[in-house]
Amino acid sequence: MAVERLLKDEATEEKGDRARMASFVGAMAITDLVKTTLGPKGMDKILQSTGRGHNVTVTNDGATILKSLHIDNPSAKKKRTSLTLAPDISKVQDDEVGDGTTSVVVLAGELLREAEKLVNQKIHPMTIIAGYRLAAECARNALLQKAKDNKQDPDKFKSDLMKIAMTTLSSKILSQDKEQFAKLAVDAVLRLKGSTNLESIHIIKKAGGSLKDSFLDEGFILDKKIGIGQPKRIESAKILVANTAMDTDKVKIYGARVRVDSMAKVAEIEGAEKEKMREKVQKIIAHGVNCFVNRQLIYNFPEELFADAGILAIEHADFEGIERLALVTGGEIASTFDNPESVKLGHCKLIEEIMIGEDKLIHFSGVEMGQACTIVLRGASSHVLDEAERSLHDALCVLSQTMNDSRVLLGGGWPEMVMAKEVDDLARKTPGKKSHAIEAFSRALQAIPTIIAENAGLDSAEMISQLRAEHHNDTTNAGIDIISGGVGDMEKLGISESFKVKQAVLLSATEAAEMILRVDEIITCAPRKRDNRM
Amino acid sequence: MAAVAPAPAPRGSSSKTESYTDTKRRDDVRQANILAARAVADAVRTSLGPKGMDKMIASANGEVIITNDGATILNKMEVLQPAAKMLVDLSRSQDAAAGDGTTTVVVLAGSLLRGSLSLLSAGVHPTAVSDALHRLALRAVDILHGMAIPLELSDRDALIKSAATSLNSKVVSQYSSLLAPLAVDAVLSVVDPAHPDLVDLRDVKIVKKLGGTVDDTELVKGLVFDKKVSHSAGGPTRVENAKIAVIQFQISPPKTDIEQSIVVSDYTQMDRILREERNYILGMVKKIKATGCNVLLIQKSILRDAVTDLSLHYLAKAKILVIKDVERDEIEFVTKTLNCLPIANIEHFREEKLGFANCVEEVSIGDGKIVKITGIKDMGRTTTVLVRGSNQLVLDEAERSLHDALCVLKPKEFIWTPIYILHGMLRCLVNKKFLIAGGGAPEIEMSRQLGAWAKELQGMESYCIKEFAEALEVIPYTLAENAGLNPIAIVTELRNRHAQGEINTGINVRKGQITNILEENVVQPLLVSTSAITLATECVRMILKIDDIITVR
Repeated sequence: MAVERLLKDEATEEKGDRARMASFVGAMAITDLVKTTLGPKGMDKILQSTGRGHNVTVTNDGATILKSLHIDNPSAKKKRTSLTLAPDISKVQDDEVGDGTTSVVVLAGELLREAEKLVNQKIHPMTIIAGYRLAAECARNALLQKAKDNKQDPDKFKSDLMKIAMTTLSSKILSQDKEQFAKLAVDAVLRLKGSTNLESIHIIKKAGGSLKDSFLDEGFILDKKIGIGQPKRIESAKILVANTAMDTDKVKIYGARVRVDSMAKVAEIEGAEKEKMREKVQKIIAHGVNCFVNRQLIYNFPEELFADAGILAIEHADFEGIERLALVTGGEIASTFDNPESVKLGHCKLIEEIMIGEDKLIHFSGVEMGQACTIVLRGASSHVLDEAERSLHDALCVLSQTMNDSRVLLGGGWPEMVMAKEVDDLARKTPGKKSHAIEAFSRALQAIPTIIAENAGLDSAEMISQLRAEHHNDTTNAGIDIISGGVGDMEKLGISESFKVKQAVLLSATEAAEMILRVDEIITCAPRKRDNRM
Repeated sequence: MAAVAPAPAPRGSSSKTESYTDTKRRDDVRQANILAARAVADAVRTSLGPKGMDKMIASANGEVIITNDGATILNKMEVLQPAAKMLVDLSRSQDAAAGDGTTTVVVLAGSLLRGSLSLLSAGVHPTAVSDALHRLALRAVDILHGMAIPLELSDRDALIKSAATSLNSKVVSQYSSLLAPLAVDAVLSVVDPAHPDLVDLRDVKIVKKLGGTVDDTELVKGLVFDKKVSHSAGGPTRVENAKIAVIQFQISPPKTDIEQSIVVSDYTQMDRILREERNYILGMVKKIKATGCNVLLIQKSILRDAVTDLSLHYLAKAKILVIKDVERDEIEFVTKTLNCLPIANIEHFREEKLGFANCVEEVSIGDGKIVKITGIKDMGRTTTVLVRGSNQLVLDEAERSLHDALCVLKPKEFIWTPIYILHGMLRCLVNKKFLIAGGGAPEIEMSRQLGAWAKELQGMESYCIKEFAEALEVIPYTLAENAGLNPIAIVTELRNRHAQGEINTGINVRKGQITNILEENVVQPLLVSTSAITLATECVRMILKIDDIITVR
């Protein structure tokens, strides 16, 4: 007889069609889950945490939904392998271009749905893959031809950016105030001057007020307090950013202790410790600074010394805050103070205390690094704020990508229809079984506008056929106009998307679909024994 | 996930069937959400308005709370259903934004949800409903602005009226005439006329003291410590022409950061150590005395004793009044009020760091003692409210358990409520210097104008807005209902009066009839009404847009 047991206890194995079906089903289940969030009228999901506090998140960000989701799926053990793929591609999309996270999953799901039909017609998965590859290449070329580049014309470019930002935001919670936020995001990204380092854009969330009260601030805002008795406003500040103990410099040798034989000696040691601290403070002051920001606590004694010297001292700034502060003011984080000349100080024009909502914050304006800015988000509740931050982050990502690759496409299902048309043409020209796969690819592409229309409560079949007819004409700008509920001119409506996002959606969705198609066996390893934590 | 999302449709089924099942599931989730949220709204509905009822909440740890503050009720309810939870958050947001109207906003949201549900069942797409709500909110805010009455910050009477209105619906309503002016004065005294937007509530300190009645609550121009003077060694308890030092070091034997031990080898050394300790402390006290300081406020220290019996003794000899264990968080407030600097080291003990006051004295009130510092020279923009209270506040229930719960909760709540409201008011005064009539007048007016507007619109939007305009009437309806009036008669009459142009007509709950509510001085800040309508619509829209609940870890 053959090998009796190849696998461990509880490990299972599925082969051939069954395996393929299982992975298809899993991927499609995921797709169905997120597809209602697609488009400007997409719906939101509640993510209810089963962990402590039963936190509730309301979101329609595909990446967020999938990220939270893939962690557990106890009942669908068999599907898990393929299930994890979908969140992965959406995560990659999120990291790379920041937007289109839902689109990529939906497109991959649709490709698989089509592939499944083909497999049922006894077409070999490899043939399907070959067809998909051809189709993807063709679709990409179609996009390349249609993409516009306005880099040379700054005004037009800026309006392109605005349009892209508005299009991205229109599917998010910020849609009602999209103009304001689009402007906010564009201004912030333009300040970056081409770098994609989003770190110098600092987002502060403060509950209270409404989303409309959000604003962009040139400079840096630190959510900390100024020490007692110290100046609350400093002009042309020289800032020393440090990470050093300002309580006491303890001798860190284990078990170190002093033995004395009188109280006076104890007092002397205490005095010496104080003196040491004073020296440290003197050294810091000797740097010629008038603002000192420390990551660790500053005790009362040094705080008073700083106050006496008229230095603004900020204690207990968090890691992120201090790194960012060092970055934007052009300083370095120091931890020893013996060589004043080797420490790079940060500079800014003005430090002052400002009030946002009910909290006092410290505002650094006129910082050295002109790119830096802070976006203060205001909103009714933490749900709104979190979702607003996610949305804004997406918009910022897309914009900064567009700064580098300034090619722009129209939105509203237009690119999908353009691609679908070209792919259809290709299918007609291609002989052999592959052409079925290419045709299927075109259908999958058309599913995106279909879903957008469906989510908006429109008659999707009607819309798609109208769109297809319009797109028979090569120069059309037709897409779905959600607001009026018909087919509209995307150019006139100002709905644009970044070429880079679309390309990434197309390519990674195809790759993901291909990967799942290639699967013909699923081996589920025996689960590690652990307490029932789920 | 498995619980919510049924297994994917069987293979080979046409896409049409699939989308059909999908839609069904979405509606189910949405309906469940709306019903849950409405259940929450119904729970607080009866506590709306001056004659609203209170709720008794028995929490898990046996504490019993009686309140009719919407935010408090909802907070303690511990709801689990996510949509219901959003309503709880909604009232919290309203609390943060305007400080009042926490019940109103929830009741409003509940009513809007009811409207949405009937629209949805009529086949309107949720996004269409949501869009209509958004337009409605914008329009409603415009209408409210149209009704508003401008107000100046200097108009103390108007501020008091507004505070009194909001207090009328609280447990402490019988004290509204006392507390309202007090709260107004407290807040006004911390407002910097140059920057009215920079009001920091932390500049108002509330000191609670049991005993006495609410009538004894007072505003103290100066500082109050809920502490005794440390006079175990017979130090003074009253000092006039005080020179006050706030110190952050300790008057006790020295202690080093490095581990240390004193080695004593014979008897004579022991004596010497004691002597040295005495000298050390005496030296410190002498230095303090040399600056003319006669009141010491000592920051609490966790590392070592702030004062010892010995140092207290010397300080008493030097006629220095000592207050110990001042929290570090309070130091900023204290120094700001006294206009002095904290001193962290004996070496820095200089006269220019001291603060001056006419009188520092220990006063015994009720069953405890407090220290009052009054007549502070160059006092900072801070104020202290000394709150007194006892079981007088407990409505009529005299049970012991209740008494305890209320005493703990109420003094804090009842003084903060007006101050919060005022704070919200001041904030909105910077942007929108307006007050608006209370008593359901704004809601009826909104409902009327929006109803008229709906007739000008076309299509789905008109239909939705008409529905929601009617939903707004829930506020006057509930107010009347809670006051034991005939709600239908009241609402219809209100409608009638408003149609005749009397836009400030509202329900006068005290008289039980409809009057011009402005003449009755029932006013509230515009912000309360505007934020109630915007937040309620925002929340309803969010609930409508949700089509699935996903359980994650």
